[in-house]
Amino acid sequence: MDDAIRVEALTKQFGSFTAVDDVSFHVKSGEIFGILGPNGAGKTTTLEIIEGLQKPTLGKISVLGVDIRRNPNGFKSRIGVQLQSSAYYDYLNLEEILGLLGSCYPKCLSPAKLLKQVGLSEQSQKKVKQLSGGQSQRFTVAASLVNDPELVILDEPTTGLDPQSRRNLWELINEIQRGGVTVIMTTHYMDEAQSLCNRLAIMDRGKLIAVDTPSNMIKSLKNTYTLKIELRDPINEDQLLSLKESANSIEQITPSSYLLKLNKSPHSLDQILQTIVNTKMHLNHLEINPVTLEDVFLELTGNELRD
Amino acid sequence: MFALTKANLKIMIRNRHTTFWALFFPLMLVTVFGIFQFGDSDSARIAIYEENPTPSSAAITKAISGLDFLEFKSIEQNELIAIDKIKNDELDYLLSIPAQFNLNKDHENPPDQLHLRVNPNNMEQNQLVQAAIQHSITTSLISEPTGLTPFSLAVENLEIPQPRYFDVVLLGLVGLGIMTNSIISIAVKISTYRNQSILKRLLVTPLPIWKYFASEVIAHLALAIVQAVIILGVGIVIFGARLSGNWAGLFIVILLGSAVFLNIGFLMSAWANTPSAASGMGNAIALPMIFLAGTFFSTASLPWILPYLVEALPLTPMLSAMRELSLENASIIEVWPQMLTLSGWIIVTGLAAIKFFRFN
Repeated sequence: MDDAIRVEALTKQFGSFTAVDDVSFHVKSGEIFGILGPNGAGKTTTLEIIEGLQKPTLGKISVLGVDIRRNPNGFKSRIGVQLQSSAYYDYLNLEEILGLLGSCYPKCLSPAKLLKQVGLSEQSQKKVKQLSGGQSQRFTVAASLVNDPELVILDEPTTGLDPQSRRNLWELINEIQRGGVTVIMTTHYMDEAQSLCNRLAIMDRGKLIAVDTPSNMIKSLKNTYTLKIELRDPINEDQLLSLKESANSIEQITPSSYLLKLNKSPHSLDQILQTIVNTKMHLNHLEINPVTLEDVFLELTGNELRD
Repeated sequence: MFALTKANLKIMIRNRHTTFWALFFPLMLVTVFGIFQFGDSDSARIAIYEENPTPSSAAITKAISGLDFLEFKSIEQNELIAIDKIKNDELDYLLSIPAQFNLNKDHENPPDQLHLRVNPNNMEQNQLVQAAIQHSITTSLISEPTGLTPFSLAVENLEIPQPRYFDVVLLGLVGLGIMTNSIISIAVKISTYRNQSILKRLLVTPLPIWKYFASEVIAHLALAIVQAVIILGVGIVIFGARLSGNWAGLFIVILLGSAVFLNIGFLMSAWANTPSAASGMGNAIALPMIFLAGTFFSTASLPWILPYLVEALPLTPMLSAMRELSLENASIIEVWPQMLTLSGWIIVTGLAAIKFFRFN
């Protein structure tokens, strides 16, 4: 079995509002699959349908080879779920919560082992509200592993965390993958999607815009580098024409600074630097940035990623 | 499911605030009623039974009915029925005048006897009433006091297992405590869990969700038993309540009542969007019921259709069954109408809770 999840033509409507619109994608076994999109894109709804919490309006979904319409409970013991903003019980400590959740499954891992895996062994007797943001997020991931699942579904696992905690969590998710578990997760962080996910689906306003590996997505862009130049003087007509030979777009930011998007020809970076030297621009400052998913998102949706 | 029940109990015990207040409120009322012991019947309703109307008996009736502090109810035709009226708390005193009764004027024979039947639960008042009756008959019927008693008054304390007001209220308070705790704690808990996605988290496990609800119900029923034991214990040990005891029956009724109120709590949680709304709704249901169902005072005198409405509330049959079992030594079979009503309530509220329940 190659695909952990198959989503075919999934549509979910709430009254007249279409939250998920004709979405299809497959998640391969063993990969980290990300769904990237702004808030309200339909990511969480898609996950909740996969988890069996909501019924699809249209479409066919199979999880670990089980058709979720035909057998809505057939896969629940094999998947691990972390919900967005789950607070868990106020009056139980971490170990007890994991024990309680484990008792809902036919087989489960020991709380001590799970807490060790997510680095919370010392907190085992604490309550969730005594944990830091990063700790409590790691705990919800531990809770999703309680039944030793084949597939883990994480809904915005790093939202609201500081950079250090996010990196910790990425490591944890990579480790889960190395243990042979398939991971599907949502995020609205571009850098996270780019560095963590093997493959990505980009969603916006209920629609699936692209599914591919992050690097293929970036390669498919018209642009390759973003160049920011700050000059002593504004450029003249001739200089502008020469720059346009290797740049797709030139945007004036301040009277004497510009944002250039370089085209895909293999020597575009070379050429543009040559042009700057040859046309005697007085360069005060230069920034070269490779394009990122941010640019992919911008190009595909025409929007900045809304937060 | 055992693990779930255990965890639920743990949560309740650690949620000290809620548990404390669940007990504190009824216990505070127990203390208030226990200290003041107010409200005990101070009525003095009297009826007269004349075996054979004579001028003497008419004169006695006139004298008694003229007494200010006695409420003269009736002239009774049947002595046994009249005695039953005392037992049913429709009367407090019955004065019987035998057929051959005559005010004794010759001092040769022993004086004739009048019989006064009394409810023995109010000793101090009974002595006053007895003296007043004797005095008024003597002064109004004998023009020239001779110093001799022209008649004698035989007082008979009827055997009436008449409960004290405190005992009645104590059982009402047990019902009150269990009702408010069951409704509000379930309503608040479930709406909190829904807001925190805990219900969702359980739904994505293979656990059949009814097992989760069953574990909540079992844990709360266990708490209800503990709550009842503590309230009754304080009432009996500290304030000397006298409950005769069909304890097994009492606790069966408590469990049935608690189940009704838990269902209502689930229903409230379905309608409330936030825990505080759930708490408010629970109070809105519970508080009027406390007064309407006769927790503190009899509702028999309510106007209009209210008495029928009161009978239909779930707390009413619970309290009446508890009182019959613990104050009148009734057996569990004798309270079948209340048990039936409670079972009906369990089914109706249970179906409604299932129909309206929502997970998100």
